[in-house]
Amino acid sequence: MKNHQDTTWIGITDKNNDPAMQEVAQDEFVGLPIAEAASNEKIMENASANRRDFLKYLGFGLGAATIASCETPVRNAIPYVVKPDAIVPGVASYYASTIVNGGDYCPVLVKTREGRPIKIEGNPMSKITKGGTSARAQASVLSLYDSERIKSAGMISSGAFTKSNWADVDKAVAGKLSASSNVRIVCNTVMSPTTKKVFNEFKGSFPNAKVVTYDPVSSSAMLQANMENFGEAVVPNYHFDKAQVIVSFGADFLGTWISPVEYSAKYIKNRNVSKGSGATMSRHIQVESGMSMTGSNADNRIMIKPSEQGAAIATLLENLGGGSSPYKVNAKAAKALKNLAAEMQGHQGRCLVVSNSNNKAEQILVNKINDMLGSYGSTIDFGAVSYQRQGIDSEIQGLIAEMQNGVVDAVLIWNANPAYDLPNSDKFVSAFAKVGTKVTFGLTMNETAALCDYAMPTHHNLEAWGDVEAKRGQYSLIQPTISPLYNTRQAECSLLMLANSPNLNKNSERPYYDYLKQSWGAMATAAGFSSSRGFWDEALSNGVYSTAAASTAIGGGVVAGAGSITKPSASEFEINLFETVSIGNGEYANNPWLLEMPDPVMRTVWGNYLSVPITWNESSGRFNGFKGVGDKVVKGIADKLTVSNNGADQTYSTVPQFGQMDGTASIGLGFGRTSVGKAGKDVGHNVYPWCTIDSEGNTQYFATGASVSNIVGEDKEFGCVQYHHTYGVTGSYQGEEVNVDEVDIVPVGKGYQGGITDRTVVFRDSLSNMDALLADMKKKQKNADHLNAATLYPFEEYSAELYSQGHHWGMHIDLNSCTGCSACTVACMAENNVPVVGNREVSRHHEMTWLRIDRYYYGEAENPNVVYQPVMCQHCDNAPCENVCPVNATNHSSEGLNQMAYNRCVGTRYCANNCPFKVRRFNWLDYTSADLFGGNQNAINNEDPAFYTDNIVRMVLNPDVTVRSRGVIEKCSFCAQRLQQGKLTAKAEGRRLRDVDVKTACQTACPTGAITFGDRNNKKGKLNSKIKSPLVFRMLDETNVQSSVFYQARVNNKNEKLDA
Amino acid sequence: MIKKSLFFKYILLLVLGLSFYSTHAASKEDGKALFKQYCAQCHNKNMKDKLTGPALGAVEERWEGREELLYSWIRNSQEVIASGDEYAVNLYNEYGKSVMNPFTFLEDDQIESILTYVNCMYDGSCDPKVLAAAAGGAAVGTGVAVEESSNNFLYIALFVILGLLALVLARITANLNYLSKVKEGNAPATRGTLADILTSKGVVGFLVFALIVFAGYTTINNAIDLNRQQTYAPDQPIKFSHAMHAGSQKIDCQYCHDGARRSKHSVIPAANTCMNCHKAIKKGSNYGTAELSKIYASVGYNPINDTYMKEETRMNNDSVKAVFTEWISSNFKADNGLAEEDELNDAGMRVVAEQLDGIVGSLTSDVKESLYGPIPWVRIHNLPDHVYFNHAQHVTVGKVECQECHGKVEEMEVVYQHSPLSMGWCINCHRKTDVKFAENEYYKAYENYHDQMRSGDRESVTVEDIGGLECQKCHY
Repeated sequence: MKNHQDTTWIGITDKNNDPAMQEVAQDEFVGLPIAEAASNEKIMENASANRRDFLKYLGFGLGAATIASCETPVRNAIPYVVKPDAIVPGVASYYASTIVNGGDYCPVLVKTREGRPIKIEGNPMSKITKGGTSARAQASVLSLYDSERIKSAGMISSGAFTKSNWADVDKAVAGKLSASSNVRIVCNTVMSPTTKKVFNEFKGSFPNAKVVTYDPVSSSAMLQANMENFGEAVVPNYHFDKAQVIVSFGADFLGTWISPVEYSAKYIKNRNVSKGSGATMSRHIQVESGMSMTGSNADNRIMIKPSEQGAAIATLLENLGGGSSPYKVNAKAAKALKNLAAEMQGHQGRCLVVSNSNNKAEQILVNKINDMLGSYGSTIDFGAVSYQRQGIDSEIQGLIAEMQNGVVDAVLIWNANPAYDLPNSDKFVSAFAKVGTKVTFGLTMNETAALCDYAMPTHHNLEAWGDVEAKRGQYSLIQPTISPLYNTRQAECSLLMLANSPNLNKNSERPYYDYLKQSWGAMATAAGFSSSRGFWDEALSNGVYSTAAASTAIGGGVVAGAGSITKPSASEFEINLFETVSIGNGEYANNPWLLEMPDPVMRTVWGNYLSVPITWNESSGRFNGFKGVGDKVVKGIADKLTVSNNGADQTYSTVPQFGQMDGTASIGLGFGRTSVGKAGKDVGHNVYPWCTIDSEGNTQYFATGASVSNIVGEDKEFGCVQYHHTYGVTGSYQGEEVNVDEVDIVPVGKGYQGGITDRTVVFRDSLSNMDALLADMKKKQKNADHLNAATLYPFEEYSAELYSQGHHWGMHIDLNSCTGCSACTVACMAENNVPVVGNREVSRHHEMTWLRIDRYYYGEAENPNVVYQPVMCQHCDNAPCENVCPVNATNHSSEGLNQMAYNRCVGTRYCANNCPFKVRRFNWLDYTSADLFGGNQNAINNEDPAFYTDNIVRMVLNPDVTVRSRGVIEKCSFCAQRLQQGKLTAKAEGRRLRDVDVKTACQTACPTGAITFGDRNNKKGKLNSKIKSPLVFRMLDETNVQSSVFYQARVNNKNEKLDA
Repeated sequence: MIKKSLFFKYILLLVLGLSFYSTHAASKEDGKALFKQYCAQCHNKNMKDKLTGPALGAVEERWEGREELLYSWIRNSQEVIASGDEYAVNLYNEYGKSVMNPFTFLEDDQIESILTYVNCMYDGSCDPKVLAAAAGGAAVGTGVAVEESSNNFLYIALFVILGLLALVLARITANLNYLSKVKEGNAPATRGTLADILTSKGVVGFLVFALIVFAGYTTINNAIDLNRQQTYAPDQPIKFSHAMHAGSQKIDCQYCHDGARRSKHSVIPAANTCMNCHKAIKKGSNYGTAELSKIYASVGYNPINDTYMKEETRMNNDSVKAVFTEWISSNFKADNGLAEEDELNDAGMRVVAEQLDGIVGSLTSDVKESLYGPIPWVRIHNLPDHVYFNHAQHVTVGKVECQECHGKVEEMEVVYQHSPLSMGWCINCHRKTDVKFAENEYYKAYENYHDQMRSGDRESVTVEDIGGLECQKCHY
């Protein structure tokens, strides 16, 4: 029986047992600013202040501080003039609304305090997302407080904005339009029925107007294929929960593809193995070139080059007996696909095949496979079809041609950014210049807005009214949660005013609200309500409303149409271009929370990086020491490579990526924005221009003709958290796979992190190995119990006294449900005022996130499986951090919380050094301007003022959580503010505490319900039932820290035949 | 022997002095309480300005030699007027023949207390803030402030007494030593005088040491107290009297501070809460139209025709001023027996100008130009940002009376911060206060305590027992 950690690793240096890795794993803080400065003699020599000066400053500072603190400022308490009924200052109000942005859809509850939205929660009434959220939905509240939004109507000339007023701009734009004008509205997918009604009204006034819809990362071919096969250009309703075998050709359906929150919730339903022995789960096979988030969750991955995707689909179909494939795939994949076909045939009616191919012929083949396997009607239906992707790529290409020919009089940019996110945006830009009138309705001065003539900025999602029909019959409403921050106007209003619509009451206080309500009125009687008011109020309060959706009958078999699949390229090097989980198609590129959220797989922040296969090394052989690219990533240094494609050279910091197909590389889309705002400007490189357009006008998200240079330099500020706060698990030594600890202790004898070997960090195995896994876990547990018994202070003796009554908080995390999506990370940042520190600080291990998601590989090095492990403060009941604090700033509560009193902390950082989980974070600099001395807030590293110093941005801060100043340690508090609030609710209602009263921010954000929080003393609670699973373990159990976080082992359903 | 009796006299004197001091102080405090209860409705608290009744400052001088008559005037003025006393009749007429309420129940010493208070307020010899704190503390009984100050006094007294005792004993030993040396025959030429002893190394060293300890102690205590604002009683934009509203009118605290039962904030009421009553009550008993007009201006209410002003009117300061010029002058005319159509006299003009200035001064600032809009109250109770305090927890769950922390607000003309709001103060209360353990179902989670209470091993559960002293209950 192999040790479970022997073959688990986090990156190439620890796989290789690099001594540098051990150094990093031992140091809690690497690259201390003071140590750096002190070691640099030049800095010390040139220092302008000597010791005497220092003492003078010290004395003066002390005196000034004393004098300043003597005078108490007069603080005002400003009440309302007329207090709104619904608002009680100090009590949060939740409003149901919907986040629609950048192709995302998420019904949410918006938490507002004193009239400002501060946090997004999922709306549990939604039948689509079931209360889940994504990282982007969580972060959308920060985009509201972007101080670089367009703040009023105005004129734009050559990128420069001139403020004006709405009346003048209305008049100016209306003056440019006549009834016969060829007007084009350019938008990304619009899911709102009422907005479409507005478009139609506009078209009524301007009969030559057309709406051009496209999506930056498009599903155009799938819509066309479904149109051809089923007569409807829609995304069908996928049932990932009903499928036994899920095959995805490149579709990152858990991370970015169409409706990831919905799909994640469904996907995970069939993968619960908590009962241990005898559990069953679905099997998920991902066919892709780079390791996507979905691929990292798959049981088996079949690696192909990006251009082979069509051939792979055809090969699978061939193996299923559906006609021969015109092209061959690589031998390994061909064999795997053959075995896959056999497996699928054994699960007739319980298979589901999806693909992100943007080639119509390939999508028709996918339909054919699904049809052959009887998926339609079982795992796929056309009832509640999705409207979340509606863009047809050829439309925007057609518009470019039209503009080039000069037949377009006016272009209204609705919510799109074609000057940035088209493969041929250069052509768009030159054609766009020929248009007489260009108007942007956008929020920000993005690349396209900068080329427009007029700005009619719309409200942010959280300031606006609206409705959404994301799936047929599934409606949700958008309602404002704050008065508009700036002098903006809802775009629908602007359009109706241009159309001079009689249905818009311009004198109304809320014209679009009236319009929207009216358009919903018709639904009331249909829904059986006697009054439209009652219907409206209920729908608005719930935020969602669904009607029975008519199902489209699927007539006959799928017939292949015209068009051909992509021919695999003969090129030796291909680049896969993918949408990132963090900033999506680029819409969120100015959102600091998302920029600082580590990519789930690469663990990089602030930019897009080049993922190259671990075999990447021209001189050395495979896996032989990993001496080529990326051997310094452990020290926060990345190698830079230059990629050349289509005559453009871009230099990337490079990440050696396990599971990246040999001969391919991956680069994320959405970065390299040039006109976006302070945070996102020039972060990473724009690779949209490297996408290509096929004969049907559809965008292809890969590049085949690229070449890559040797190492051209080093990125010394490599923002990657892969090796930060890590344990150094295993590696190989002298050709054998061993535990790193043992190697250190036995031959070197210097001990390592307390010298405990064979530590429990993460358990994972395949379903077929379940019994062995359980036996191994039991053995480890026994060993841990044995070690823990050897103490002078047996935990059992005092635990009964301390925790036998009241509350004893605990958390359960199901590693099998965790997909790594990072919604929890961002939710935690939003809830707990966690500062954003920027790329340079991250590269020095100074990231402040309280909740990190560790990513471990296991299995085949070339094509491994992945396990994600969210790690926050484990709230050890026998906490090592507590007894080293010299000032008792961190101590234990009677409810089992490891408390952190910021104002008591003097910053010795002993606790952080003594924390085995490395979850404590130190405020090296004044990231929040919470410091006593104003002068400290100006700059971090002589760069821009810190993120939270912007007064508009500060509105997002949670008023219940202290904003930490420089020099103190902070860490996860189990959302103490929520626990206190929950307890108060129960007390005020005079009842016992329930599970629903206390939910942490990470728990509510999770789309798959992987996190369960609760009271361990509540024997009937959900937590206690979950921690009874035989798969449950605690991290580092053998150190007797008695942590309060319980993990449930990761189990995959690997089919060994597919790897052979 | 002589010395000893002297010593006892000393102590006696000290004790007497103490008791004298305390009775004297109490009289002032009583006077204040009585004044507030009976007089403050009609007589200005500053004793210098007229209100419904005359300014009371130097009242005893005006009635000099006729103290008895003054006392009967206070008990029942109508009787004195009926007796035909010239001064009394003139006074009655001067103040528009408004009748002063009879207070026949007041004892002589009570009236004396009131007069003492009046005098000290008039000559400024009693600092209103200090007195207010003392009065509030005494009323509550367990007020920490009072406890501390009286303890301090005892300590000082004890220190002095013990010091004297030490001195006496030192003298005695010195004398005895000297005598014994004389007996042995090796007495020094001169006896050590008191000055010698006091300037000896030991004494000086001790004094220096004591000084350092004392200075350190004081410095640290003062440093800890920095930014604490006990007794802070800032001027408010509106002279709102809690004594009137919560005291005389007995309006429940939570009628206006409606957040206290459901929110972390007790909530400063919105001006439209005021309008619930002040649509009907348009003149204040203390300040007439002066203060209430500020509320009307802030909510944009026209008291003349009882309507809310239109947006364009209320946002225009000149039109708002026009409304209130009319309102104040018509009220002045009515109060002073002038007919509505009469020209406003000089006094009236002055009153109108003063009150308009008051409205503008109170409602506008550098950041707010319009009179319409929220009233900028000055926040009295300030907690640092890293402290989480929730009113609902204490009011709704803990059933703590408002007065326990805020003092007798219903007796405060000007609200001041009653409690120190220090962490020690919070903690002490959490140590002492019992949780409403039995009646709240929530606490069933604490099974052991329930068992102990059933078996009689435990009488009550304090906040401390359920973790009320832990850091993260208030700091997160």
